[in-house]
Amino acid sequence: MTTDAAPPTTAPRSTPRARRRRGITGYEALGFPTWAYVVFFFVVPLGLVLWYSFGYKPDLFNAHANDVLSLDRYVEALDATFIGTFWNTLRIGVVGTLICLAISVPFAYWLAVKLNPKWRPLALALVLVPFWTNFLVRTLGWQIILSPRGFVSDALQNLGIIDGRLDVLYTAGAVQLGVVYNYLPLMILPLYVAIDRAGPALREASADLGANRWRTLWNVTLPLAAPGIASGCLLVFIPLMGDYITASVLGGAQGNMIGQLVASQFNTAQNWALGSAMAVLLMLFIAGAVAIFGGIALIVRAFVRRARRVDLDVELPGGAS
Amino acid sequence: MSANTATAAVAAVDPARVRSATSVPRRRRRVDPVRVGLAIWGVVVFAFLFLPIIVMFAYSFNTGRLLASWQGFGFTAYTSALANPVIVGSVITSISAAAGAALLSTLLGTLGGIALARSRASSLSVLVATVILGVTLFTPEIVDAVSMLPWFVSLGTDAGIGLFNNGLVRLVIAHAVLSVAVVTFIIRARMAGLDASLEEAAADLYATPWRRFTQITLPVASPAIWAGALMSFTLSLDNTIVSSFVQVPGSTPWPVYIFASLRVGLRPEIAAVSTVMFLLTLLALGVVAYVLRRGDQSAEDIAKTLAAG
Repeated sequence: MTTDAAPPTTAPRSTPRARRRRGITGYEALGFPTWAYVVFFFVVPLGLVLWYSFGYKPDLFNAHANDVLSLDRYVEALDATFIGTFWNTLRIGVVGTLICLAISVPFAYWLAVKLNPKWRPLALALVLVPFWTNFLVRTLGWQIILSPRGFVSDALQNLGIIDGRLDVLYTAGAVQLGVVYNYLPLMILPLYVAIDRAGPALREASADLGANRWRTLWNVTLPLAAPGIASGCLLVFIPLMGDYITASVLGGAQGNMIGQLVASQFNTAQNWALGSAMAVLLMLFIAGAVAIFGGIALIVRAFVRRARRVDLDVELPGGAS
Repeated sequence: MSANTATAAVAAVDPARVRSATSVPRRRRRVDPVRVGLAIWGVVVFAFLFLPIIVMFAYSFNTGRLLASWQGFGFTAYTSALANPVIVGSVITSISAAAGAALLSTLLGTLGGIALARSRASSLSVLVATVILGVTLFTPEIVDAVSMLPWFVSLGTDAGIGLFNNGLVRLVIAHAVLSVAVVTFIIRARMAGLDASLEEAAADLYATPWRRFTQITLPVASPAIWAGALMSFTLSLDNTIVSSFVQVPGSTPWPVYIFASLRVGLRPEIAAVSTVMFLLTLLALGVVAYVLRRGDQSAEDIAKTLAAG
């Protein structure tokens, strides 16, 4: 926030083009502290992890050494436990993202289209409230609900719906429920924004041209919401893949997520070299998974577009990020 | 086409009345079942979203020794939480770290967001900055955590910079890294929506760069700055994974305290403190919403501003 970061104004009567160009240099300098901060506290530490991953753990008392560089830690990291846990995490991540999508599409549609506009700000605020409650606390709420000695268990037994105590807590199902719950608002919001931005005009045009509501949904509303669907899926899938808090609260011993494996190398095993290799692999695998699913989505879209006579390639006014 | 006329007829009626109308068989033909189904779905999703929060609120009045097994109604959890110096200390640590992180990331994010919005979009520095900020958003938290811990150890122990051995400093720096991209993108979205003509007019009227920045650019960006500050404050309060890695004994933040007590057994105090913090968050939300409302932005715009990040 220093004055010298802003551009010098020496020639006020310059042409707009020259003025714009002069403004550019000044504003670029304005961002320098931000970029410097991110490089120093994010890029450099990531580079350090990459560097550590080529090293090894020399003895019991040191967490890493880099005098001999090798790819051995990657070979060591890719053992059966890691691969198995990764598949487990990937399954929870993909299923969780799809469930979030299935819940959010009708919900966001209702919020953006059907709900009385008078209530819309309140409804949006209500969606945001759980999002701003502590992540861990919300998950603990589910632990109470699913507890075998909790009130839900008692109620279900009294109603005769289940015979023994509720046996959901510390299973994969509980973890799945927990992640869907925790990441749901991150899917609802971008979808809402995308559907809302598309506006009613094209949907109405589709109805006027004789399309029934399902055709309008498939051919107009959902294609227009595609940027929101994409960003929602990314916002849900990526943090979910790195999350192990939900799994350790609701999954107990069953809830081994890949993040837990990385964390334990740093916390308990004190093997920074191996942990770093796992962290690098985790990032690569997540990027790979996103690339594969993105590729599948693009191929499906290409086929759908080819199958359709009329291509609705509508330019959105500023797509969702 | 009859379905569409029915939609139009019900369009003016609010969902609550539509629902009550379903019980009247005489009017059933005029009610759009899809619309009713969507409204029911909406209510179900809201119930799902609020269920665990309501449960935690209810269990904060549990007088029992363990959180999950209900004994009776009372305020013992609140009084014993207040009397517990470890709990009070961790809450204070959390709030101070969140305030510091919000201040730092809002400062950096404001500069970065204005720089991104007002620089030429095709320039290399904008591209690189956007990509790096995007990577910070899409890095799993556990990777942030395991990369920041060795870096703080290197700076604090190996390089001997004592500042990086301070637990609060570590928390503030780490949380600011996690939220600076969100703040930057929120502010960029706001600034990109407004063209630079106001600032150019100020320059034409011989305003110094400093005055132009403080009297035009900052006021114009202020709703987004508030939204960004709130976002980074709550992200910091929420953070568990990175905090548990970079924390130093003696400055344990609240979520890390809860996470650690998972192993020894959860007590109702956790629900009590969480309820108080939830109410505080709502208060902060209300204050920001009020400030933004004064800057004539509707709640919808606020939500959109936040969601765009």
